[in-house]
Amino acid sequence: MFFHNFVYNFKILFRSKALIFWTFAFPLILGTLFFLAFKDIETKEKLDIFSIGIVEQENTEFERILKQAFVSLDDTSSEALFHIIYCDEDKAKNLLENNEITGYVLLSQDPKVVIGNNGIDETILKTVTETIVEQTAIFQTIFNEKGKEEGPLNPAIVMQNIEQEIQNKLNQIEEMIDDKSPQKLSYTMIEFYTLIAMTCLYGGMLAMTSVHKTLANQSCTGKRVMVTKAKKGILVFSSVLASFVVQLIGLSLLFLYTIFILKVDYGNELLFIILLSFMGSLAGLSLGSLVGILFKKNENTKVGVLLSITMLGCFLSGMMGITMKYMIDKNIPFLNLINPAAMITDGFYSLVFYESKSRFYFNILCLFLFSSLMIFLSIYGLKEDKYDSI
Amino acid sequence: MIVFKTFLKILNQCKGIVLLYTGILIAFSIFNMSNQDSGMNFQAEKPDVFIQSEDETGEIAKNLVNYFQKHTNVKDLSLDLLQDALFYRDVNMIIKIPENYSQDVLNGKYPKIEIQSTGDYQASLANMLLEKYLQVQFLYQPIFSDTTEYMQKMNDTLDNEVQIELLSTRDVASLTQAKSYFNFANYAILAGLVYIVCLILSIFRNEPIRKRTIISSMNYKTYNRSLFWANSLFAIFLWGIYVLVGFIIVGKAMFSGYGLFFSFNSLLFTICSLALAFFLGNLISNKDAISGIVNVIALGSSFLCGAFVPVEFLPKSVLGIAHILPSYWYINTNEQIYLLENFHWNSILPVFLNFGVLILFTIIFTFLTNWISKRKLSID
Repeated sequence: MFFHNFVYNFKILFRSKALIFWTFAFPLILGTLFFLAFKDIETKEKLDIFSIGIVEQENTEFERILKQAFVSLDDTSSEALFHIIYCDEDKAKNLLENNEITGYVLLSQDPKVVIGNNGIDETILKTVTETIVEQTAIFQTIFNEKGKEEGPLNPAIVMQNIEQEIQNKLNQIEEMIDDKSPQKLSYTMIEFYTLIAMTCLYGGMLAMTSVHKTLANQSCTGKRVMVTKAKKGILVFSSVLASFVVQLIGLSLLFLYTIFILKVDYGNELLFIILLSFMGSLAGLSLGSLVGILFKKNENTKVGVLLSITMLGCFLSGMMGITMKYMIDKNIPFLNLINPAAMITDGFYSLVFYESKSRFYFNILCLFLFSSLMIFLSIYGLKEDKYDSI
Repeated sequence: MIVFKTFLKILNQCKGIVLLYTGILIAFSIFNMSNQDSGMNFQAEKPDVFIQSEDETGEIAKNLVNYFQKHTNVKDLSLDLLQDALFYRDVNMIIKIPENYSQDVLNGKYPKIEIQSTGDYQASLANMLLEKYLQVQFLYQPIFSDTTEYMQKMNDTLDNEVQIELLSTRDVASLTQAKSYFNFANYAILAGLVYIVCLILSIFRNEPIRKRTIISSMNYKTYNRSLFWANSLFAIFLWGIYVLVGFIIVGKAMFSGYGLFFSFNSLLFTICSLALAFFLGNLISNKDAISGIVNVIALGSSFLCGAFVPVEFLPKSVLGIAHILPSYWYINTNEQIYLLENFHWNSILPVFLNFGVLILFTIIFTFLTNWISKRKLSID
């Protein structure tokens, strides 16, 4: 009886177009959309060369020094920061109004930066101009201080010495900053982890449908099934197992698609990935079973309840805004401890970005406790369902 | 009137969906609220940094922390959350000042400062600020033997700011908020309006109901006209709600010419979406399929055209494909309105051309709906 019910449930689930769409096709479509929308986001977030204008006014020695400093940051140099257009003020203004440059610098004894709007490029232009002006101020201060110490000096020789001294020290500054930035910082991966979480929880719809079609007080099919001599427990268990197998097939397809086509990084430890997916699916399945058993409403209402829980869970784990899970962790950490979508997402995150496995095991433990609680409540709900007539 | 009343009855059952999408739109807008102050003056961008100083008493280290407090947002975070904070961009840079840093600097040594950064624009700016500070610190160190004078000179040099002139008279902070609100409204309009209209049309086109309507005394033209006006009124009502919410959430920018253009653009898009809904309603006969198809269309259009991810971050190839979708032209118009410096004819001409494209899409969808209806009628 167990095998018979298992096979028929398996067939029924695979023939339901709506279920197959939401559990198989929809995650693949959503994954493709994530990929298309996010594939360039991190590259475009990095500092890129932008266009500015440089306007010489009086052609003084000071202006020449400033201009020389900007030339060293032009897109032809190794430390390129700007694409520089050298022009007069009217042309620069015209370019700025047409959004062809971020801003322009009016070179003079007291340089002025003219910008169109507030923004990060504009702030960078201001900071760089200030750094250049600052270097000339440093030069002047050192020259004056050396004059005080060493008496009247030959300006040409001193300037050459100071210039050399400054250059030597400036070269050392970069060595004084020890950059230990982590290499794996692709935060858009979180979107794909939430997608896996969503698919695991959507699998609950399969379990819910199976339970709905098996219980006598919920559907006509259930009435027919329940009048047979088979035990209720065996029927429910085989139905849920069939939905679990269908769910794992859908999940495997999603993994294959995201790993080989979309190049998503889930880490290199296959066994841990399988363990997490298995536990995530179990959480979705147990949640679906509980909704199926507890809510004595029609199937559409139950689907609505399950979809709402899933989408709320995914929203809180970062599907609609990557930083959401972090904000919850920071302000209401308890919420993420009862949210299976957050546990699955965090499980993948800890697997890829943390060397220690303690956080991963903690997520597995949370998923296990969540599933156990759902299964316990489902069994309790089933035992409570006693009826002489329906 | 009977058609209109039935329409309202069915609509009443769908009010949850209208509330859901309005709620999502409000939640998204509040989540994306700009922290930038409104105003016409220059405001420097401030990266978020975390400073972990192991030289808490040293004067030089304190001075470095003060400098960063002035030019960046120095965050106070738990050390357990530090790596997560960096990953989720809560901080753009973590700066670790080593033990005895101040003493080592004063002794002419070159102690290393450890940083971890996100590598984005904000992190680059934080790095520039750090390099700028260290440059002054190390060049002045051998010159001044007195620590107080050394720090005084250092801060004087660092405090020098260049003059800055802001040409634009636009209130960028408020306009950015208006733009992101109306861009996201693309999803709310498509998912909410198209779904409900398709659902109601499918109920009216249900075979037994349709047969009863055909044999009734009501002229089919009157019936169709009632259905059209009922749907149109609902669309205008939904648009009105979204614009009203926009006025409440965005505020300032909405009470200007910009607000008028944003609202008009969303009205044209609502009409275009209504035409799309009629088209899909005629095309899809299976009620269960509506949810899936509308979700794919709404999410697809929103992801590919820049409703969820800012247009400047989308790949060119994706934007190229997006040209065939009305959402692209709607969002592109919002971007153009956002950039308008004035409302002279030459400036607003591209905006009107985009309006024209949206009207063209509406005509195409209407034409296709009529064509499909005629075909279905002739098959019947």
